Amino acid sequence: MNSGLNDNNPTLVAAFRAALLHQGIYVLLIFAILAVAWVSAREWLRPARAARSVAPEPAWRQLLRVGFGVIWIFDGLLQAQPAMAAGLPSQVIEPTAASSPTWVQHVVNWAGTTWSYHPIQAGASAVWIQLGIGVWLIAAPRGFWSRLAGLASVGWGLVVWVFGEAFGGIFAPGLTWLFGAPGAALFYCAAGALVALPERTWHSARLGRAVLSVMGLFFIGMAVLQAWPGRGFWQGTLHGQQGTLTSMVSSMAGVPQPVILEDWVRGFASLTAAHGFAVNLFAVIALAAIGASLLSAGLPEVGLRAPAPWLLKATVIAMVVLCLADWVLVEDLGFFGGLGTDPNSMIPMALVVVAGYLALSPAPAVATEPAVVPEPATPGPAAAAAKPGPVPRRSWQAQPARLARSFGAASTGAVVAVWAVAIVLLGAAPMALAQTNHTASPIIAQAIDGDSAPMDTKAPAFTLTDQNGKQVSLASLRGKVVLLTFLDPVCVSDCPQIAQEFRGTDQVLGAKSRNVELVAIVANPLYRSLAYTRAFDAQERLTKVPNWLYLTGSLAQLQQAWKNYAVAAEIVPGGGMIAHSDVAYVIDPSGYTRNELDFDPGPGTASSESSFSVELTNAAERFVRS
Amino acid sequence: MSTPTRKRRTSARRHSAAPGVRTAGAIIAVACLLVAGCGSKPAPSASLPAVPAAPPLTTSFAAPGGASWTIVEMGGSATDENNFWQVFLRPTATDGWREVTPRGVADNGGLVVASSGGGSLVTGFRPSQLLTYTPLATSTDNGANWSSAGPLNASLASATDALAAGPNGQLIALTTGGTKAELGQRLGTAWSRLATVSSLNATPPGRACQVTGLTAAAFSGDTPMVAASCGRPGHAGIFADTAGTWHAAGPDVSGQTVDVLALTASGSGLVALLRATAGTSASIIGAWYSGGRWTLSSPLRIGAGKLGSTALGPGGSIGVTWNAVKGAIMAGPGKAWQALPALPKRASTLALGSQVEVIAASGQTFRDYQLASGGWSLAQTIHVQIPYGSSG
Repeated sequence: MNSGLNDNNPTLVAAFRAALLHQGIYVLLIFAILAVAWVSAREWLRPARAARSVAPEPAWRQLLRVGFGVIWIFDGLLQAQPAMAAGLPSQVIEPTAASSPTWVQHVVNWAGTTWSYHPIQAGASAVWIQLGIGVWLIAAPRGFWSRLAGLASVGWGLVVWVFGEAFGGIFAPGLTWLFGAPGAALFYCAAGALVALPERTWHSARLGRAVLSVMGLFFIGMAVLQAWPGRGFWQGTLHGQQGTLTSMVSSMAGVPQPVILEDWVRGFASLTAAHGFAVNLFAVIALAAIGASLLSAGLPEVGLRAPAPWLLKATVIAMVVLCLADWVLVEDLGFFGGLGTDPNSMIPMALVVVAGYLALSPAPAVATEPAVVPEPATPGPAAAAAKPGPVPRRSWQAQPARLARSFGAASTGAVVAVWAVAIVLLGAAPMALAQTNHTASPIIAQAIDGDSAPMDTKAPAFTLTDQNGKQVSLASLRGKVVLLTFLDPVCVSDCPQIAQEFRGTDQVLGAKSRNVELVAIVANPLYRSLAYTRAFDAQERLTKVPNWLYLTGSLAQLQQAWKNYAVAAEIVPGGGMIAHSDVAYVIDPSGYTRNELDFDPGPGTASSESSFSVELTNAAERFVRS
Repeated sequence: MSTPTRKRRTSARRHSAAPGVRTAGAIIAVACLLVAGCGSKPAPSASLPAVPAAPPLTTSFAAPGGASWTIVEMGGSATDENNFWQVFLRPTATDGWREVTPRGVADNGGLVVASSGGGSLVTGFRPSQLLTYTPLATSTDNGANWSSAGPLNASLASATDALAAGPNGQLIALTTGGTKAELGQRLGTAWSRLATVSSLNATPPGRACQVTGLTAAAFSGDTPMVAASCGRPGHAGIFADTAGTWHAAGPDVSGQTVDVLALTASGSGLVALLRATAGTSASIIGAWYSGGRWTLSSPLRIGAGKLGSTALGPGGSIGVTWNAVKGAIMAGPGKAWQALPALPKRASTLALGSQVEVIAASGQTFRDYQLASGGWSLAQTIHVQIPYGSSG
């Protein structure tokens, strides 16, 4: 699934930084344009702000909107870590899905592959999308665009939950509330959905009761799961082995983090190891009690008496304290060690519950927002338009002047929200474009082997025998671009990968492949018969590639070719493979070597193979005669 | 409060379920989610027919003419592709061992060596990593020089006798996890299908055995033979192909479920090593075919022990190691099993000749221990240049 590259590969890190910087400049530019346009519209057009009835945003919604906005921004900043572009599939996605069923791994693998094909675009996209959603949520307090921000949070939250968190691990064994089940992103979705609700839902306590009831049921379920025997949570240590919880906490204690936090987590790990049963009992009771109390908030919905307000208040406080304790002592703040992508589930969960509690209080009555009629500072062409008059209608079909007035009448928040939408689109567009491209970015090949070396020398001649037994000379290929490499037909690792890269090149070239010859010369002094070149072709599915030539010859002929192209092919004792160079040459149609590419295929992942194919294609296309 | 809002709410209420029902619906939905989480466990692996674990490729055998061969695994971890298989030859009983591993192919997947006598050998390199077919090497001078042969366009099975060499450059290769047998001509330059598990099971002797997998191949004269694991008790799955028809050629093993671990020509006869299993307990039985009849040894009980290697020596002598430190030999048909002293550390296999030897090979060091009155005595040490990291 992953690219197989080191997370901190300098080429990828530099490219990721450059992409963020470039896109960051666009973000600032868009902001500047919007700001100038807005200020200009306000100054010159003097738009009137209409008087309209507005209901103040309820506290629960404000909490969710701002709270999750801040969290999305924080997550976006975490996504900007230098190692994220190469590391997310291998450090985050794969380990998360590892213990899940195969079908989950297949789903997650798809996303990981997509990411690994375009690590820079994907990494930068995630940064801007999350920053954009965060800013959007905070800046748009009400109305259509605010609700749309909620839906954006749901949409991207689902993407993160499914592909980044492997469905929050709910299908994996060892599921526990203590470690973040059912996944932080699911709470982002829940919060987004609540933000997206229409205003009519703001004026009743039923929403709060529903939220608390569902959360209550969730807590009870988590308590049952926590109490379930045989899952290792009841034992701090068993037969000298750490219990499940102790093992989890101990592993968190070992990750790089501030010393004080490490001390706390280590201390809690010791406590769990010594008193595992008591710790788990406390967790079970606390989860069950909180769950039962929250569930009771829904009693009026089924015609029963509501619980005493103080009980719910105390429950919510207790829940927040428990979440904070778990966040610090068990989840280790969620983002330390490795590539943290979010602060885990406790803060989002607490925000949803507190919001549900706040939603029990009826929203304030609808107020009338006064009309704002600016005094014209100086007479101007816009003065007439600034006269108070009928409330302007919001219409997408508005004339440009009316649209400009509407823009000028927009609040600061609305303008910032527009900017945030632009940030999201700026992030999503490159990823969407990359998705339409089924080949990997050439940056992966460059990250593995560096840039190609330009050359301009006459390519050494050779006359050898192809897989069909026909004599082929380099001169006979004049007029075509020749991509030349050296392959050992019995090689177990690099050569099959390079062959696939050449095969992929043929596919990427498409119609242009008519003008390109893919040539390999045998790089094994002992296994060089036609039977072996044919066996290799069959193994690598190259028999149907019309412009593929696998050339061999006498040992003397091969040795001459190896010498001319500075290729080593040495016999290794002790059961080793022939040691040979991984190199590719680009020979132009007039027989000049124009490029030498270091062609060590690296990790041999699907993305690296595709990337080398693209690199080779790009190199060939420069010399293809149209 | 605006009237339209109220109206919409009323309308919504009219068309939706009662609050209690909705709450119950939400509860059920969350409960389903939780149940899905609670109940999710890794899917149990599908029930497969019990196929006994094949013994490792580590082996030794005596070739006609007095030479002894051993094939052992050296180097490091197989997971890291740092294991490298080696072939050692002792040309005569009085010589020392020497390393004669054929060059040019990474042999991390294992080596299978077949002798056709007179210093002629064929080695098959079991494919590993991205190689999917089997390169072959041949020698006519006891491994002093090798040249390429074949190839075999399939993956050689993991069995010590997965390759057999016959007269006139004929070869038999068991492939594709022991489901197919291929007949090669002219040292593997042309191959044709000899048998498959299904084709054997379509014959009367195959049906009687209920073949579950092919485990060994041999030539008896110019007659191709294959050996198999039988699913039905009472049959030792050894089959001979005479004039295109398969015949049962194995001994009667009276009610036992048997796998053939090794099958090789010995003079004008055959030697086979059988593993009879009953539940989790196994026994090793030697079988010799000579003069038109089979002779079976007494069973050597190895219990649930893990078989380490097999050895076939001159004169029909046989030996096995199991559980790393245990070994037993039998001098030939009609003789008794002789338990060996605890094997030296890192023992790979036995080598049988004029003396009983243990080959201990690991890392870069090959050690030959000979059985003396006081136990095992180190007779020879060879340092082998292992190309660590070359297959990655």
